[in-house]
Amino acid sequence: MKMKKIGLIVNPIAGMGGSVGLKGTDGEIYKKAIELGAKPTTPDSIEKTLALVNRKDLYFITAPGRMGEDSINKFDFKYEVVSQIEEKTNADDTKRIIREMVEKGMDLLIFVGGDGTARDVCNVLGLTIPVVGIPSGVKMFSPVFALSTFAAAEIINNETNQFIEKEVLDIDEEAFRNGKLAAKLYGYLKVPKNVSLLQGKKEPSNITKPEKISKEEIAEYILENIEKDTLYILGPGTTLSTIAEKIGVKKSLLGIDAVFNKELVGKDLNEKGLLDLLKKYNKAKIILTPIGGNGFILGRASKQFTPEVITSIGKENIIVVATEDKISRLECLRVDTGDTKIDDVLKGHRKVITGYKTETLIEVK
Amino acid sequence: MTINLQKNENPYLPSESIQKAAIKGLEKVNRYSELKDLVELKDLLGKYNNMSIDRIVLSHGSDLLLREIINIFSKDRKIIMVCPSFFPVTQYALNQSRRLTKIQISPPDFKLDSSLLLNELNEPTLLILDNPNNPTGKILIDTVTAEKILKNKNVLFVVDEAYYEFSGQTFASMIEKYPNLAITRTMDKAFSLAGFRLGYLLMGDYFKEHFFDFPIYLSTPTLFAAIEALKNPEYMIANVAKILNEKIRIEEELLKIGIKVFQGETNFILIKTNIPDFGKKLNDEGLNICNLSDEWIDGYYRISVGLYEENNKLLSIIKKIGNYV
Repeated sequence: MKMKKIGLIVNPIAGMGGSVGLKGTDGEIYKKAIELGAKPTTPDSIEKTLALVNRKDLYFITAPGRMGEDSINKFDFKYEVVSQIEEKTNADDTKRIIREMVEKGMDLLIFVGGDGTARDVCNVLGLTIPVVGIPSGVKMFSPVFALSTFAAAEIINNETNQFIEKEVLDIDEEAFRNGKLAAKLYGYLKVPKNVSLLQGKKEPSNITKPEKISKEEIAEYILENIEKDTLYILGPGTTLSTIAEKIGVKKSLLGIDAVFNKELVGKDLNEKGLLDLLKKYNKAKIILTPIGGNGFILGRASKQFTPEVITSIGKENIIVVATEDKISRLECLRVDTGDTKIDDVLKGHRKVITGYKTETLIEVK
Repeated sequence: MTINLQKNENPYLPSESIQKAAIKGLEKVNRYSELKDLVELKDLLGKYNNMSIDRIVLSHGSDLLLREIINIFSKDRKIIMVCPSFFPVTQYALNQSRRLTKIQISPPDFKLDSSLLLNELNEPTLLILDNPNNPTGKILIDTVTAEKILKNKNVLFVVDEAYYEFSGQTFASMIEKYPNLAITRTMDKAFSLAGFRLGYLLMGDYFKEHFFDFPIYLSTPTLFAAIEALKNPEYMIANVAKILNEKIRIEEELLKIGIKVFQGETNFILIKTNIPDFGKKLNDEGLNICNLSDEWIDGYYRISVGLYEENNKLLSIIKKIGNYV
């Protein structure tokens, strides 16, 4: 039997802030959580998942002690431990250990934690090795996490070669503690496509194509319809990166870039950079993709699109693209630009390009 | 024994006389089915739908009819469909179209904005809608909107009325008047014949021209069972009434437990719940429902109405699960 190498890493302090009302344990706030009597929650999450994993072909490469080893050794899995840890661990440990796991060669990484942990994982792995995120943090805005410990086990049990990219979002914890919600897009992780949890479905027909093909088709369509002498501002995301590739420019994954007549004319633009470009070029369009799960196209992951930028470009020049898989899982699209008047203008139904010759009309709320 | 409430089937067996007729058909399966039996079935369907038999096409399952319609009519047309809708059309068939536009209907009311739809009909279009819609159970368009659509010569309008017997709503009476209207139906659901896969098409003149040579291959047991079912429709009518009564009972009970229920016009119920792994928990207790989260929005499930005892089991399991949340 060919064994699959599975990395396992647990953030032992993720989730501890929640029970004591601290909204996260990033940075120094962890000490405060301990003082307030917070107990670790991650061992419970990973052990619940591992108890349901029934595959015999898994070989675990685990982080030491409470970062993985202490949980895996309660089960019958074959495993080895990599690296060492001190009594106190932090984000650097997580990143260092994952790097060592990569060197060992792993097929999939299971990580347990919240948005902060997802960021650390993303930082090392990006889209190279697929991951299963077991939710156990206080902040879990990232759609990258499995829906529950059970769902995580189900994903691990069902081997697949189909993967989808999910966003890693994190909020500014300091702002969150002060009652402000400001999420930022940190990157993307590759997760196994969830298979049906229940057997025997008859209908196969809410048909969605594999993500990669869907993105290629979208890019093909955009390229064919690209207008001359028009500034194209490309928002963040892998769909937009695929479009940029088709056009023939290299795009920053998370930043906002601009293209004019198939040449890159702006990279990682902020509000000022965007406004300067909009003054320079007469015609401009924005291409955006919604955030999976919550459907925000403007205002959450891309704060650079301020009300002034949007007004300057005009509602009719906003092009939204998304894979069929992503769009069919959204209740609606959302905008939150910070200016309710602009939000109102953007509301209503909008066409989203989902493939070479496919589109979905969906409401923006 | 597992209880299956996930495929919108009829929980009641075909009547004894239908079963006998099917067995009679079995006794003849060394032979091809006979034309006279096909004609008899068409005659009965004609009477059932108040329609001349030259407007009826038979098929093993309405899926094949929809696929054929897309193959024939979509090459120079845009296809418009609603999302979500789970009636079976293949990606292959959709690839034939010039362009595919899906109109997403959203919770909580899952309404199809008729003016939005009408605005999309400005080029040659094949509009395919399931009415009522699966999985929401909602009636998406009324007769007034249907007339507006059909008056547009650009449009071929195909309505899937798989749940007609439960909703009581049909555009069949408009077929004579509008050449660009076609309706797919099935005897799988209300008539308890899912295993026989009997679908049929009711079609306006435009479709007739293209379907005159559509091959009909139905097995003799299927034909005999369907003929018997249509000769005695009272059995189906009684079952539909029982199912709809049960549906109301289940909905009321679910609401009491705090499960969000979406009112629909079919033999199934769309619900939303935040109970984690709801579908799996029911599955563990030996009861299958349709988990829509795999392809649609998280937390949505579709439950087919079962027999009284099955529905009681469903409710007791949900109550039990709910207590642990």
